[in-house]
Amino acid sequence: MNDMRITERTVQTNQAKITARDVQVYYGDTHAIKDVSVDILDKAVTAFIGPSGCGKSTFLRCLNRMNDTIPICRVEGKILLDGEDIRDVRVDPVQLRAKVGMVFQKPNPFPKSIYDNVAYGPRIHGLVRNKAELDEVVESSLKKAALWNEVKDRLAAPGTGLSGGQQQRLCIARAVATSPEVLLMDEPCSALDPIATAQVEELIDELRANFSVVIVTHSMQQAARVSQKTAFFHLGNLVEYGDTTTIFTNPVDPRTESYISGRIG
Amino acid sequence: MEQHIVSAFDRDLEAVQAQVMKMGGLVEKALLDAAEALERRDEVLAEQVRAGDAAIDALEELIQTDCARVIALRAPTATDLRTVLTVMRMAAALERSGDYAKNLAKRSLVLMQMSPVNGAPGAVRRMAKTVVSQLSDALDAYIARDVEKAKEVRRRDQEVDQMYNALFRQFLTYMLEDPRTISACMHLHFIAKNIERVGDHATGIAEQVIYLVDGQLPADDRPKFDSLGESVD
Ligand SMILES: Nc1ncnc2c1ncn2[C@@H]1O[C@H](COP(=O)(O)OP(=O)(O)OP(=O)(O)O)[C@@H](O)[C@H]1O
Ligand SMILES: [Mg+2]
Repeated sequence: MNDMRITERTVQTNQAKITARDVQVYYGDTHAIKDVSVDILDKAVTAFIGPSGCGKSTFLRCLNRMNDTIPICRVEGKILLDGEDIRDVRVDPVQLRAKVGMVFQKPNPFPKSIYDNVAYGPRIHGLVRNKAELDEVVESSLKKAALWNEVKDRLAAPGTGLSGGQQQRLCIARAVATSPEVLLMDEPCSALDPIATAQVEELIDELRANFSVVIVTHSMQQAARVSQKTAFFHLGNLVEYGDTTTIFTNPVDPRTESYISGRIG
Repeated sequence: MEQHIVSAFDRDLEAVQAQVMKMGGLVEKALLDAAEALERRDEVLAEQVRAGDAAIDALEELIQTDCARVIALRAPTATDLRTVLTVMRMAAALERSGDYAKNLAKRSLVLMQMSPVNGAPGAVRRMAKTVVSQLSDALDAYIARDVEKAKEVRRRDQEVDQMYNALFRQFLTYMLEDPRTISACMHLHFIAKNIERVGDHATGIAEQVIYLVDGQLPADDRPKFDSLGESVD
C-alpha cells in the first residue's frame, strides 16, 4: 500500500534552510511576535496561516531583514540561513534579499517598464553577461509567473499600468528572476483569478524542487494544496507547526482546529 | 466544539448525522424483525422487511449525496472532515447490513415452506439480537464520541464469531445425520454467515468512531476467533 501513497506530498529533505530561535518582534511597545522558534525546511513549501494581524507578515519579513526598513521595528533572537546568522553585521542586506526573495502582500512594481521591473535584480546582482541572456531571464521569469502572454507585446509599458492581479504576477516574476534560494510570498494570489492562482501554485510546486518556499495565505485550501509544512500563528505566537496533512486532518491544538475549520476561536 | 461561523455548515453536519442515526434505527429493526419472522414463521413480517429495504437504500443515497455536497461547498477540515468521512462509511456499512436483513427475510420465506430445523431459528434470533446490540452500541459510541465504548464493541466481535462457529458445527451435524435437512441447513448457514457479517460492520463502525476521535484507526489487529478452517469466507 505504501507505494500507492501520494508521493508528491512528501518532503524531500529534513534539512533546515532557515532556523529561527526565540524570535521577538516589537513595533514600539507592541509585542508583535512572541518567542517564535521554527525550522524552515529546504526543498519544501511552508505555509504560514492565521487570523489577520497575528504576525505572519511580520515574521516573514524577519527572514530577509525587511523589518530593518521599518524604523520603529525591533527584532530579537536568532535567525540562521544555512547556519549563518543573517543579522550579523557582516551580512549585506541587499545580498541577503537576493538569496531570500520576497513577494509582498501589496503589489509594489517599480515605476519603470515591465521589462525593467524584472531585469532589475539580475542586472544589479550581475547574474547575466549580455542583453540576450537578460532577455531570456525576463521572458522565462514572466512565463513562470504566468504573465508572459499578456505583456509580451508591451514590455516597455510601465509596470504600474497593469491590473492589480497582473502587478502581483509581475512582482512574482521580479522575485524569481534572481533565482533566490528562499522565496517568501505574502498572499501572492490574493488578487488573482482561479487560473492565474493555479499557475502560481504550479510555479510554487516547481520551485520547491530546488528552493525553499514560504507562503502566507488566507486560503486554507491553498495552504493544504501547496505546502508540506504548515505553521499556525495566533496573537503573535506560533501555536502549531507540523506536517500539512496532520494540521488539516488532525491538528493537536484546539486553536488550530477552530481556525482551520472556520469556528469562532 | 464551538459553532462554525457559517451556521449553515453546522446545520448540514447535523442533518447528515441525524440521517445516519435514522438509518441505523431502520437497520436494527429490519434485522430483529427478520429474525423474528424466521422463528415465528411470520410471512407478513418477512415481507415487510423485504419491502422496507428500499427506504434504507434511499437514505444511504441521500446521505452520500449530502456528504458530497458538504465536501464541495464547505471543504471540511480536521474533525469536520473526519465526521463527514465517518458518516459516509457508516452509511455504507449500514446499507450492507440492511441488505443482509433483507436477505434473511427472503430466506426465511423459503424456509417457511420447509420442515423446521430443530432449535435453529431460535439460535439465529439470539445471534441477531447480539449483533443488533453491538450495532446499536457502536452507533451510541458514535453519538457520544466514546472511544472506550467503541473499543468495547470491537472486542465483542468475538462473541458473534463464536456463535457463528457453533451454529456452523451444529448445521454440519444435522446435515450428516439427516440429508433431508441439507437444503434448509444451507439457507440457515447463509443466514448465520450474513449475521456474522453484520457484526463485522458494527466493528467497522466502532473503528470509525476511534478514527473520528483519535484521528487514526486502531493499530492492532482485532482479535479473530475462527477455530474452523471451513468458515473462512
Ligand atoms: N509597520 C508597522 N507598525 C506598527 N505596527 C505594525 C506594523 N506592521 C504590523 N504591525 C502590527 O503587528 C501586528 C502583526 O501584523 P502583521 O502585518 O504581521 O499581521 P498579518 O498576520 O500579516 O495580518 P494580515 O493577514 O492581515 O496580513 C498587528 O497587530 C499590526 O498592527
Ligand atoms: Mg500580512
